[in-house]
Order: sequence, then C-alpha cells, then structure tokens
Amino acid sequence: MTSLTKNLINSQSLPPTQAIAPKTNILQKTIRYIRANGILFLLGAPAVILIFLFSYIPMMGTVIAFQDYSPRTRFLSPWVGLNNFRLLVESPLVIRLVTNTLLLNTMFIVTTTFFAVTSALLLNEVRSTSFKRVAQSVMFLPFFMGWTIVAMVLFGLIDYQVGTINAIITKFGMERVIVTDKPELWPWILTTIRVWKGTGSGCIIYLAVLVSVDPQQYEAAAMDGASRWQRMTYISLPALIPVVILLVLLDIGRIFFGDFGMIYAVIGDKANLYSTTDVIDTYLLRALRNNSNYGFSAAVGLLQSILGFICIFGSNWLVKIYSQRRGEDYTIF
Amino acid sequence: MRESKSLGDRVFSLSAYFYLILFILFCLLPFWIMIIASFTDDIVLRQDGYLPWARVWSLEAYRWVFKGSEIRTGYMVTVFITVVGTLGSLLVMSGLAYVMSLKRLKWRNWIALYVFLPMVFAPGLIPWFITTRNLLGLHDNIWALILPMMVQPFWLFVLRNFFAALPSEIMESAHIDGASDATILFRIVLPLSKPALATVGLFIAVAYWNDWFLSLMLLDFAEFAPLSLIILKMVNNLQSIQDAMKYPGVSINLGDIPTLGVRMATACITIGPIILVYPFVQRYFVTGLTMGSIKG
Repeated sequence: MTSLTKNLINSQSLPPTQAIAPKTNILQKTIRYIRANGILFLLGAPAVILIFLFSYIPMMGTVIAFQDYSPRTRFLSPWVGLNNFRLLVESPLVIRLVTNTLLLNTMFIVTTTFFAVTSALLLNEVRSTSFKRVAQSVMFLPFFMGWTIVAMVLFGLIDYQVGTINAIITKFGMERVIVTDKPELWPWILTTIRVWKGTGSGCIIYLAVLVSVDPQQYEAAAMDGASRWQRMTYISLPALIPVVILLVLLDIGRIFFGDFGMIYAVIGDKANLYSTTDVIDTYLLRALRNNSNYGFSAAVGLLQSILGFICIFGSNWLVKIYSQRRGEDYTIF
Repeated sequence: MRESKSLGDRVFSLSAYFYLILFILFCLLPFWIMIIASFTDDIVLRQDGYLPWARVWSLEAYRWVFKGSEIRTGYMVTVFITVVGTLGSLLVMSGLAYVMSLKRLKWRNWIALYVFLPMVFAPGLIPWFITTRNLLGLHDNIWALILPMMVQPFWLFVLRNFFAALPSEIMESAHIDGASDATILFRIVLPLSKPALATVGLFIAVAYWNDWFLSLMLLDFAEFAPLSLIILKMVNNLQSIQDAMKYPGVSINLGDIPTLGVRMATACITIGPIILVYPFVQRYFVTGLTMGSIKG
C-alpha cells in the first residue's frame, strides 16, 4: 500500500494510540497531542490562519471605535472612551441609516418571499415538464449576474438620455423622466431589482418542499371535487408555510447584513438619493473612500455588528421556539 | 393526477401560464436589451437610445472591446482570480472541513466555534479595511483580490457536514491500516465528495467572478482591474456625465464617452462564460441552495 509508506514519511513520531499518556501536566499533554496529529494541524492551519487574518484581526481593530483615530498613529491613537458613540447617538444620520436599512430590507423580504412562493406554487401546477424546466432555468439566471452588471443594465433602462424607458416614452410624445432625481422612486426600483435577481433562487427551496408533498393528497382532493385553485391553496400552500416562516425568520436575523453590494453598485455616489437609499454599509463604504472620521465610522460599524448580533440571536431563538413546537430543529446554532 | 376539465380549472391553468410567461419575460428583458444594444450601431444608439430592436446592426462594439487592452487585461485578471481563488478556496476549506469532521479529534467544537463566530459577529468594514491594508499590507496586488474571500464559513460548514456524512467505516479502516490523514483526505474523502466540491466550488467561482468589492477597496494604483471594477467605473462615469448634461450650458463632447455599445458589449462578454456553462451546472446550484436550507 503506497499510502503506508507515505504515512511513515509524513509522521515519524506518530504514536500508535493517544491513550498511553501517563499523568503529565497539561502543556506536555497538549504538545504530545499536537505531535500525534501533526498532519491534521497542517491541513487545518491555512483556513484557520486566513480566518484569523481577515476576521479576527479586524475584530480587534474595532478598538478604533473608542479612539480618536488618525492615520499616523493608527491603533495607538488617543482613547476617547465612548465619545464616538455619544456623537453617534446625537447624530440624525444614524436614525436615517437604521431606518433605511430596516425599511429596505423589510420591503425586500416581503416582496421576494411573495414572488418566490407564488412562482413556486404556480410552477408546481404546470403539467408540461419542458415548460417547467425552461421557466425555472430562466428565472434562476439573474441570480448569477454581478451587481455591477445589474447596475449597468439598470442605467441602460432608465438613463435620461439613452435609457430604454425614456426612449420609448418620448416616441409617444411624453416628457423624459429624470429617474435619478426622484429619491422616492428608488426603494421601489431596488425592490424590483431584488425580485428580478432573487425570485428564481428563492423558488428552488419551495419547489423542493412541494415535490415532497404526497401526491395522494391531491388525488383524494380531486376526487372530492376540489378545483385546482382549492388544491393549491389547501394542500400546497399549507405545506410551504412552515418553510416560509423559517426562512423569513432567518432573513430577519440577517437584516443588518443584507447584500448591500447591490445598493452601493447601483446608487454609487448620487447624493440626492441618499435620503431613501443610504444604509449603514453604503455609508461606511463612502466614509472609507472619502477618508472621513474613521473613529466615528467604526462606531457606526460596531453598532451595526451589535444590532446584527442581537437580530441573529433573536431570530434563532424564535426559530427554536417555532420548530420545537413542530418537533423539529431548524435552528442555525 | 386526473386531468379535470372544469372551466374554473382551465382559467386557473391559463392564468398560471400567463403569470409565469410574464415573469420569464421580466427576467429576460434586461438580457435582451443588453445583447441587442451590444450589436447596434453606435450612432443609432445615440439617436434612439437603447431600444429593444436594432435599426442598424454592427459588430463595431465587440471589435472595440477586444482591441482595448484594459478590458483584455481585465478579462485575464477575472479569469485568474476565479480559477486560482476557487481552487485555493476548495483546498483550504476542505482541509479544515476534514479536520472538523473527525469525531476522534478533541477541540472539534472549539474549532467550529472559531469558524462560526465571524458569521454572527461580523467585524466592521472600517477596521477590516485598515487592518487589511495597513497591518497586512495587502493592496494593489492580485492576492488582495483572492485571499480575503478564500475561506467562507458557510461553505466550510457545508463541506464539513458532507464529509461527516460519508460512511465512516472506509476512513476508519484506512486509519487503522496506517493511512495518514492527508492520504485519507486526498485519496478517499475528496474523490467521494465530488458533487459537494462541485457545488461549493461553483458558488465560490461565481462570487469571485462577480466580486467588485475587494478591487474597489484594495486596488488604488494597480495597472490592472478585474472586469467587474471596469464595469463599475463605466457605470459611475455614465452617471456623472449624465448629471452634467441635465444642466444647460455644460457642453459634453460625446466622443469622450466610451461608446454606448461598448458598455453593453463589455457586460455581455462578462456574463458570457456564466451563461455558457450555466445549462450544464445548473443542477449543482440547485443542490447548493437546497443544502443551504439544511441545518449547518
């Protein structure tokens, strides 16, 4: 066996079992354990190191939220205690950011869930398998588009000068619309993009649930004279409800960490749209690019992490209560 | 199911098809506009705007795209980070996932907690930015576009669960026969996990392909940029020009704007590879999304 020779080369010091350790202190035990499992440490180390570099070091970097940060002194900047947070509480900015985050995400969750469930229910009713397959593929396709592409095409559609919508409405003799001057429209535009991109992928889980519904239920209902609409609303829909509740709860848990790459890629630096579309992440991105007050921005970021943390635990707790009542376990931790 | 022929059922069936066809058109429309515009003559585009049909066809935009060195470099950068990033990510993550899947390992739960914690307590953007650039010195460098995204806790847990669900007898007997953990991982576990690796790899590849965040954050002076960043710049460029045009008295030389067709042609060649492989790999994405709903 070639693996045997390899094994001999790779771990000369491998003792036959780990249980032979006599009474030694913890340090010796630990060293012995590491030597016995050397290869395991080598296999796991790269990922552990990468997580440390890009997640744990930045977590420690959060200290700048309590400092008066300056690029020269960096992490040794003077401590200012909770000063940044005091500024943050007084600033009207934070209220706007948190409101927009919650409002936009609520719109996203409601609409994407609605369209994903509706589409899954109706796809399930389609008899022709080829139509079903094509429809599913086409609806899933936008999922793979990067937000930069989406932004590019969006402006191709709504641009003042060359946008498709303006090009068509001028043909009918109407005035061009300056969409970028109307902040009140943008939550709806963003929601539309979200529905466009997320419905197909959202559908998939629901379709998987519907496939597992016992076909005899439908047959029995049909025998009893239930129409297809009734079969959908009394059999398919109730089968989906638990999954819908769970997924919505999980979405609520992530409400502060939404995919805001979208908002930044689409809105960019258009200041007149901030009133309705600026969220915590886009604010932070801008703060970085404009080299504004890092200490204050880090405090905003920490607030986001804390609110997000609370939301995740809150939603997990709700999921636990809900799934325990059904005798299942869908919690994430 | 019996085919029932009542009027209500037929109306219902028709409206289901109606809704689905409308939704399909809604999903396809942007692609349609994009593809048609990329094949439209630029002068016509400037006169008419992006219309759903071309009056004068032209390949000029594509000729221009493939001539431009920026886009060619961008394509190579995007391909490089996608290939190297995905392979590296799979290698690194399956290493740790294997370790975490071993029941004989003490500290298993501590490692899981270590991986899990960043998922619930995300470090802020500002500290991430400062530490990555200043402490690690990772910027204006191709690795800056690869390393930060390499380990994704969610997919790491998916891999761990898959490895843990493999029949443990094979691994145990190999272990008793004296096979090292590296041998077991590369000779037994990974070959048995091809579907899971394909699924996770495809999601990661799409993330690398579309990523613009790392290049926006970590490239300042580099003479290369991935396609996504080039496109983002084109979008912003378009916006500022368009803002200027709204005010009378500001004259813009249209020749300075990257041609309208070129934008869409760039978008088309960016999504091209995804659309080409999509039909063959769709089922893996479906599996991945269903896996995501299972307890991690």
